[in-house]
Amino acid sequence: MLINTARGSLAAFALLAITGTAFADVTVYTAGPASLIEKLAAGFTEETGIKVEFFQATTGQVMARIEAEAANPVVDVLISASWDTATDFAERGWLVPYTSPNAANVPDFLKSETAVAQGVSALAIAWNPNSKTPKPSEWADLAKPEYKDLVNLPDPAQSGATFELVAALEAQGGTKLFEDLAANGAIVAGANAEALNPVLQGAKAAVFGAVDYISFNGKDKGESIEVIFPASGTVIAPRPAMILNWSKNQDDAKKFIDYMLSDAGQAIVAATNLMPARTDVAANRPLIGDLNILTIDTEAVYAGREATLAAFAEIFQ
Amino acid sequence: MSATRTQPVNPAVLIAAFGLVIVVAVPFAFIVLQAIFPELGRGSLAAPFSRILDVLVDPRLIRMTGNTVLLGVGVVILSSLIAVPLAVLRALFRVPGALLWDVLMLVPFMIPPYIATLGWIMALQPRGYAEQLFGFNLAPFLFSIWGIIFVMTLNTFPVIYFAVSRTVEAVGSRYADVGRVFGASAWRSFWRITLPLSTPGLAASMLLVFAMAIEEYGTPAALGRRAGFDVLVTGIDLRVSDWPIDLPGAAMLSLVLVVMSFGAFLIQRWILTRRSYQITTGKPQKLEKRALGRWTVPVVLAFVVVSFLATAVPLLAILATALSRTISGGLTLSNLGLVNFAAILADGPGALKALTTSLSLGVAAALFTGLLGALSAYAVVKTSMRGRGLLDVLTILPNALPGIVVAVGLILAWNQPWLPVTPYNTALILLLAYCCILLPQPVRYATAAFHQVGDNLEAAARVFGAGPMVAFQRVLLPLILPSLLASMLLVFAVATRELVASIIVAPVGLQTISTYIWRQFEQGSVGLGMAMAFVTILITTLLPLIVLSLLGKRGSLL
Repeated sequence: MLINTARGSLAAFALLAITGTAFADVTVYTAGPASLIEKLAAGFTEETGIKVEFFQATTGQVMARIEAEAANPVVDVLISASWDTATDFAERGWLVPYTSPNAANVPDFLKSETAVAQGVSALAIAWNPNSKTPKPSEWADLAKPEYKDLVNLPDPAQSGATFELVAALEAQGGTKLFEDLAANGAIVAGANAEALNPVLQGAKAAVFGAVDYISFNGKDKGESIEVIFPASGTVIAPRPAMILNWSKNQDDAKKFIDYMLSDAGQAIVAATNLMPARTDVAANRPLIGDLNILTIDTEAVYAGREATLAAFAEIFQ
Repeated sequence: MSATRTQPVNPAVLIAAFGLVIVVAVPFAFIVLQAIFPELGRGSLAAPFSRILDVLVDPRLIRMTGNTVLLGVGVVILSSLIAVPLAVLRALFRVPGALLWDVLMLVPFMIPPYIATLGWIMALQPRGYAEQLFGFNLAPFLFSIWGIIFVMTLNTFPVIYFAVSRTVEAVGSRYADVGRVFGASAWRSFWRITLPLSTPGLAASMLLVFAMAIEEYGTPAALGRRAGFDVLVTGIDLRVSDWPIDLPGAAMLSLVLVVMSFGAFLIQRWILTRRSYQITTGKPQKLEKRALGRWTVPVVLAFVVVSFLATAVPLLAILATALSRTISGGLTLSNLGLVNFAAILADGPGALKALTTSLSLGVAAALFTGLLGALSAYAVVKTSMRGRGLLDVLTILPNALPGIVVAVGLILAWNQPWLPVTPYNTALILLLAYCCILLPQPVRYATAAFHQVGDNLEAAARVFGAGPMVAFQRVLLPLILPSLLASMLLVFAVATRELVASIIVAPVGLQTISTYIWRQFEQGSVGLGMAMAFVTILITTLLPLIVLSLLGKRGSLL
């Protein structure tokens, strides 16, 4: 029995060693949707013959892996869901300066010397029309009695975009809006997907600050959900793509960025209901020009992040 | 008395020590180093101890620690209250449909905790399935400390049920019969003889449940945040997932968890070493179960209620979601269909590859931990080697390490640039992670079983000329095999669905079942994720049952 077990273990061990991953030409770590990177990788390999392996998780998990791997990093291209990452990594001197020839039609605020947006999402009100509540049009509507106990907010501590929305709205009108929401029974419900799910089933009527493309995708599948961009403004979350300076495959990594910004690459981005980074690529959804975008003083806002989060948590305690 | 005292070095002990160092000591050492040296990830030992103080003086630490203890103790108590009576009834009486109940109690193991929790949320939240079908919701209960304990208990009580029913069965009614002969009542001989003799199994499984409860992430994260109930694991996750990443802080909080689990371990060991529990003496024993008589109906009813709550409700909620075209469509006939299952089939290669990866990893993890667990338990219980206490400590350590911390420790350890070969970025790193996280299960079960095997059996084998390895293989291993197999089954089930460590250490481009499901959820495709979860639960439940019935071990195992 012991010998058989040992033999079995060895066989399983050998099997696993064979299935182990060979190192690819370009390794991409991405916080984007899995289907997007799958299609981008497949299209890129088809066009250039260069192999792509990717690791997809939340921004936090991607960062945890990069941090733990710091002694011997393997990532060539990083695509984060938060522009803050691009700024921070650039300050640390971890990024390779690169301007893709395909980035000519990417507006200036979506690129820097070391990073360029893959696509852009915006935050919106995601509202379930079956919820027997009136259709909201403004953030402040969700603090009205009609929505008592029916509003979810994604946690700004877990979602960078939500944090920027909170900061932008607090810069406009202080914390009163959030105090009103809390008094109206709104709750903070985990990360983005966790906040949306109860709205789909009808436990809640609306998400305050939902990531738009996830809701658009749900709507395409026939879910009863509407995406509303308040006229008073919202924040956008560009997804920066960057090349790490420890990469041993920088030329192939640059080609990947080029492909991501090509007509084909941006069409794939648009097909996942994200806004393409290039202004000359069409998409079947409201684009940056259609939205009233709130700007924040990034440096000051992120310097006060801990205090903002603590005050926010206090309000919704 | 141990027969191995004459032999200077027992090979079984050496193998156990080597395995434990690779699987447990190496990643754990790097977690401790990370807590001390904040810059360890960059290969620098600068500023040692600089982070320890500000983690320890954080006022939230006391609250999180208190909540964690409360949760662990609550889950252990409720699990015991449910599992022990059922297990004793199952072991000593002829319960109608016993095998069916065993299978139904096995299913909660196979349901990933985060999936079960999501199932409960979708069943009990306002306008959830319960409200759609029967007009009620239990949201205030679910999103509270009681809801968390309730859901986690339903996930973990089978550990105690199987351990206790097996040990009580092994104790049998023979010793209690002796008590009866000497005039004790049936109750009295149960309380004074059968139950005390079953202590090893009960204590070991309670320890496991406590460790599982304080280490579990999915349920407290999904339910606790809304109740304002934060535990150490959610605190650790926040430090690891919030930029700038705070690995030293997360490592420190994990060490608090380790201390807590170690305390529970010391209590268990104190209980086990107070007296002898040896009942397997080599004399043949006839297994005689009694009839339930007029208690048949209430007992069966108890089994029905428990397996309905633990198995049927989460499974039905998962199935309902998997069969819904849209979540917002609800449970109407026009909204039900096989769309999600068809989508899995359409994504055949991706889904199939994830399934094969996870199933082969599960089998490999079960074999490795089973072997290593049996050898380690043997070294600790049946030899008098120096340092065996240390081995015992190593086997309990991973119990308290949250998956995410094990993952970080493994990356720190195996991604060093000077290593000539490394399992990192191959599927082997996942195997190491699963073995580390799940090793305590076989060790605890095997330790309990060894405590019940009389020393004279091994001594007899040695007298007749068997070497220590042969005695282990031919005499001791077969005696503990039923317990060991049960724990290996558990390892298989949990390894095939492990999520937290899998996400962080999975080699680039490799998907497991759990990361596949998680990605569906993250993109808002809850139905697709649930369909994959349902298929997985079916496979991981049926596969072991088929294997066991082929081995003809079903009766002794379940």
